[in-house]
Amino acid sequence: MSAVASSPRAPRIAVRHEIILAAILIVALIGLGFANDRFLTLDNLLNQGRLMTEIGLIALPMTFVIITGGIDVSVGAIVGLCAIALGYSWKNLGFPLPLAIVFSLGVGAAAGFANGFVITRIKVPAIITTIATLTLFRGLAEGISQAHSVRGYPEWFYFLGQGDVFGVPTQLLILLIAIVAFGVALDRTSFGRTLYAIGSNETAARFSALPVDRVKLAAYTLSGLTSGLSAFVLVSRVTTTRSDMGMGYELDAIAAVVLGGTSIFGGSGTIWGTVIGLVMIQLLKNGLALTGVKGDATIMVIGIVLIASVLIASSLQRRRE
Amino acid sequence: MRSYLLTTAAAAAFALAMNTGAFAAGWDGADDLPTSPLACDASAPAAPAAAKPYDGGKAINAPDKAGKEITLVDVPKLIGIGYFNATSKGIADAAKEIGNVKVTTDGPTEAKIDEQIKFIDNYITRGVDGVLFAANDPVAIAPVLKKALSKGIHVVGYDANSTPDAREWFINQAEFNGIAKAMIDSLAKESGEDAAFGIVTSTFTTPNQARWIAEMQAYAAKCHPKLQWLETVEAQEDNVLSFNQATTLINKYGDKLKGLFGMTSVATPASAEAVTKAKLCGKVAVIGLATPNAMKPYVNADCVKSVVLWNPIDLGYAATYVMRAIVDGKLKPGATSVDAGKLGKLNVVNGSEILLGSPFIFNKSNINGFDF
Repeated sequence: MSAVASSPRAPRIAVRHEIILAAILIVALIGLGFANDRFLTLDNLLNQGRLMTEIGLIALPMTFVIITGGIDVSVGAIVGLCAIALGYSWKNLGFPLPLAIVFSLGVGAAAGFANGFVITRIKVPAIITTIATLTLFRGLAEGISQAHSVRGYPEWFYFLGQGDVFGVPTQLLILLIAIVAFGVALDRTSFGRTLYAIGSNETAARFSALPVDRVKLAAYTLSGLTSGLSAFVLVSRVTTTRSDMGMGYELDAIAAVVLGGTSIFGGSGTIWGTVIGLVMIQLLKNGLALTGVKGDATIMVIGIVLIASVLIASSLQRRRE
Repeated sequence: MRSYLLTTAAAAAFALAMNTGAFAAGWDGADDLPTSPLACDASAPAAPAAAKPYDGGKAINAPDKAGKEITLVDVPKLIGIGYFNATSKGIADAAKEIGNVKVTTDGPTEAKIDEQIKFIDNYITRGVDGVLFAANDPVAIAPVLKKALSKGIHVVGYDANSTPDAREWFINQAEFNGIAKAMIDSLAKESGEDAAFGIVTSTFTTPNQARWIAEMQAYAAKCHPKLQWLETVEAQEDNVLSFNQATTLINKYGDKLKGLFGMTSVATPASAEAVTKAKLCGKVAVIGLATPNAMKPYVNADCVKSVVLWNPIDLGYAATYVMRAIVDGKLKPGATSVDAGKLGKLNVVNGSEILLGSPFIFNKSNINGFDF
């Protein structure tokens, strides 16, 4: 039972990290707000929410996966595969569009399930499995599509990616619902407790009769499913399907999760931390661009800020302990 | 037993992943739009294009800044490569010449459409009078450009087009069929009518490259039917990858390979380098689109005979003039030409495109006179 007993402590450390991070975020936002009068406007912030959704949807289950001590670097490739599955099944296989959307989500879940299956049943380490499936899924996306784009979706299809509900971008609402759902699942359910237990000590979790493999399988499947959802949002936003979609998303998602205080070794982390990490990266990029920092310099500044905030947060934390 | 399982599974997964490359063999990298190959005879005049009504978009309630200072942003496919350095030089040159135009060039460091969209989106929020762009994807870029138009920001494309209704005008550097003819004719002349060749392109979805390849297929089928099309490979716009892909083609096809086309300003010098390293100068012809500076060593060493291009500085230069003309109300839908400073009058083609001119072939006799 030691793993289960130790798990409640892990979130408490993470909460402190989040509070520090949130404070840094607020300071940075105020600074950027003073530097540019178009930054802290509702219009801009909502628009950033729209642009943030695709990575956000992936970062949520990524938090689960990393809490178990695993990793999933195939998510960007799953986005590409799902985008192609959506476009191809609609245009070339003649599926009605709603069915094509469901089919594409199914492909995402199946891809995630395949990852989870190889990791839990064949016992291949997560990093190796998902590096392999990264090339596999991307290759499938390119092979199936023959690198041709699919375009010309009907107008209603763009509602998710470009429309608003009461002034709020449609996909941002979906992200908010997902955040609450994932947060509750992690904090308030035995599924969430089991994720922490696996990450703290997988052997102990097994001896405690926790359904380790089933929970891990579920985490990777969720990861694939939300990658599919992310692909749907992305295709709807940019009105076209390309096999190179989602390239590099895995790094953005992992950066948000780790910046949010989730330990890369597993066992600790929260959804709220991930959300702060996600918002921080997105708004910093946007704020710097609006303030007139050019693209190549922005990447550098972001890198420095990421390292600095992790350093500040961890040193403050150490002093308090 | 367990470790055995693990290795086989990993090996199988990797093997599967690698095998997907086999799909590539059948790809030609061409798009599926209709083609219009030019006449084989060089002296035949190009068929006059049927006049097409204006099909560009319109900036909604754009403030009247005729004669006043305007701020522009130039968002190329990517920054930091010779070709787009040249276009942004042209854009800046024209801005200086005109006087009341301020322009910054900013963009992604990799040719990624997703990043490019975010750059344009941020500049819309920041507030500019006009956006100049070279699209990484003609359709994916359309929503953000339409957003700019809806906020009264003028939009002009150059180099790589978007769907017409997402921008006002597009500066067409050279018509696709003209480039295709120049490329294929050069190959047939250098390597013979029955030469077998490979192509190094950026990606199969990049609009310009896909269009050129489609036109090359059509023109080759019409005028040089014995040419043998071996394979088209993707190399992003990446130096090292282009070199590796060209080397792979050389090794894969051996003596059979008589020519390589480079479809980007990165792929062509990398292909020339690959041929030089393989000591096949004179045996494998390299023909492609590239900037003269990158090609001078290979042209002067007689390894490359023809470099096909337009002048990217002029392309950027024209884009700034067109933008100024739109703001000043001098270029309206239905116009047949526009005044572009030192370039003189440029003609409107295809409804809402402005044609820069016919392609230029750099060779040993003229390349040293150019510096970009």
